[in-house]
Amino acid sequence: MSLHSTNRARPRKPLQWIDVRNRRTGMWAFALNRVTGLGLVVYLFLHFVMLSQLFVGRAAWDSFVALARSPLVLAFDVVLFAGLIIHGLNGFRVALNGFGLGVRQQKAIFYGLMAVGAVLLAASTVLIFTI
Amino acid sequence: MQTTATINAPARTRSALGSLGWIWQVITGAALVPLAGLHMIAQHFMVEGGLRGFDQVQAYLSNPIVWPIELLFLASVVSHALLGVRAVLVDLGPSPRVARLLDTVLVIVGIASVAYGAWLTYAIVSAA
Amino acid sequence: MPKLHVRVQRQRPDTQARYDHFDVEVPDDANVIDVIEACWRQDQNLMYRHACHHASCGTCAVRVDGKEVLPCIVPLAACKPGDMTIEPLRNFPVVGDLVVDVSAFFQRQAAAGMVITRDAEETIDGHPFEPSELLQPDGKLERRHYNRFENCVECGICLSACPTLSATDGFFGPAGLAAVHRAWEKTTDETERAALLDLADREGGVWQCHGAFECSEACPQDFDPAGAIMDLRRALIRRKVGALFGR
Repeated sequence: MSLHSTNRARPRKPLQWIDVRNRRTGMWAFALNRVTGLGLVVYLFLHFVMLSQLFVGRAAWDSFVALARSPLVLAFDVVLFAGLIIHGLNGFRVALNGFGLGVRQQKAIFYGLMAVGAVLLAASTVLIFTI
Repeated sequence: MQTTATINAPARTRSALGSLGWIWQVITGAALVPLAGLHMIAQHFMVEGGLRGFDQVQAYLSNPIVWPIELLFLASVVSHALLGVRAVLVDLGPSPRVARLLDTVLVIVGIASVAYGAWLTYAIVSAA
Repeated sequence: MPKLHVRVQRQRPDTQARYDHFDVEVPDDANVIDVIEACWRQDQNLMYRHACHHASCGTCAVRVDGKEVLPCIVPLAACKPGDMTIEPLRNFPVVGDLVVDVSAFFQRQAAAGMVITRDAEETIDGHPFEPSELLQPDGKLERRHYNRFENCVECGICLSACPTLSATDGFFGPAGLAAVHRAWEKTTDETERAALLDLADREGGVWQCHGAFECSEACPQDFDPAGAIMDLRRALIRRKVGALFGR
């Protein structure tokens, strides 16, 4: 086998960022940030589509809101809040590290922020279902 | 023996946002904490039953302090989201031509989204 | 003598990867490299690479149970007992079995202006090493008063662990950016420092890192490429903000 035969394209795995098997905290944080980010982008544009009901008029919007107040959709709101809270808090860690702060403590910062996130999510969930 | 390097230093050729893209992501991210917070609280927790009905949306957006804040929220969230999408897609290693096309598409989507939101806000407020 | 069931990834450049199974017995105080050698004694077509056996050459890097390691310094006692999966590094072309072509690693280091050969040696194209005072317009550094990246054993583990590199060669990667950081840290020449920051600021530079910190976690030298990337970011932000205020 000549050396030249080794000069071939390496394998590319575009979705490896989502494979967190045998990975550590920082990788989980990155994957979580990206998954929640992409989820929020999808939600954002779905939200724009849903808001078009406001153009249609009062009846269309109010019947949409009646549907949105159903427990199933409210459960989806909990998922939305989870995404916002996780992405927002994790983003704080990413920003902090980017300023060269807390780099060595990134794991502890991640766990701390996620603990705060769990409390915020629990409070939001209670509010979503009780208001 | 002459070696041929196939990997070069980071290129100038692509539309390099450099630190500006990242700084903008941090600025909009920080701005989104109060802006998205306000939006979520106002839309989910302030009126009986959570979500606002048509009249309540109209009353809320007619407030001269609220609609500029909501539009600022819209611009921040759209630019933050599209910069994020760009980061994901650039990781797939597009060619310089595809990368330029991607940037153009994202700018168009961004402007269209903000214009749509502004138009919607205007339509609702003016219908009051 | 612990008995071990070992799955080893087998592949040639023109074949699909498969796993061969070996049952081996190694001494209690064996390291993972001894496990690989025990497999090789059963099948001498097994390709693997090693040299120093004490983590100074970086040659033997593989993945053990999914994680990048230098098998020469990982004791069996540190691995889960009973069975083990050994695979080549990620993100490099496979030459054969556990051997990968790490030339992309060295190309990155060279592109960062980091000299791979020591100044006592000739360069690979046969010329004696001559430090120059030039900084090329494309950002490659020729003023090579630094020569080796002292702490790095050039194993390629950080490039294998990097999730961004799994999809694209567009990212300069942890080792290359850490090399830029090392050069930036070392020089006091402001022109050169600015050029090095420019290099790190480009598309594919420090901003394409997503802070997964896998490179720093995996580095067998406990060098911190992700920390170096974050330090470059801080310097770039400081420069950008300084420029906004006319400083």
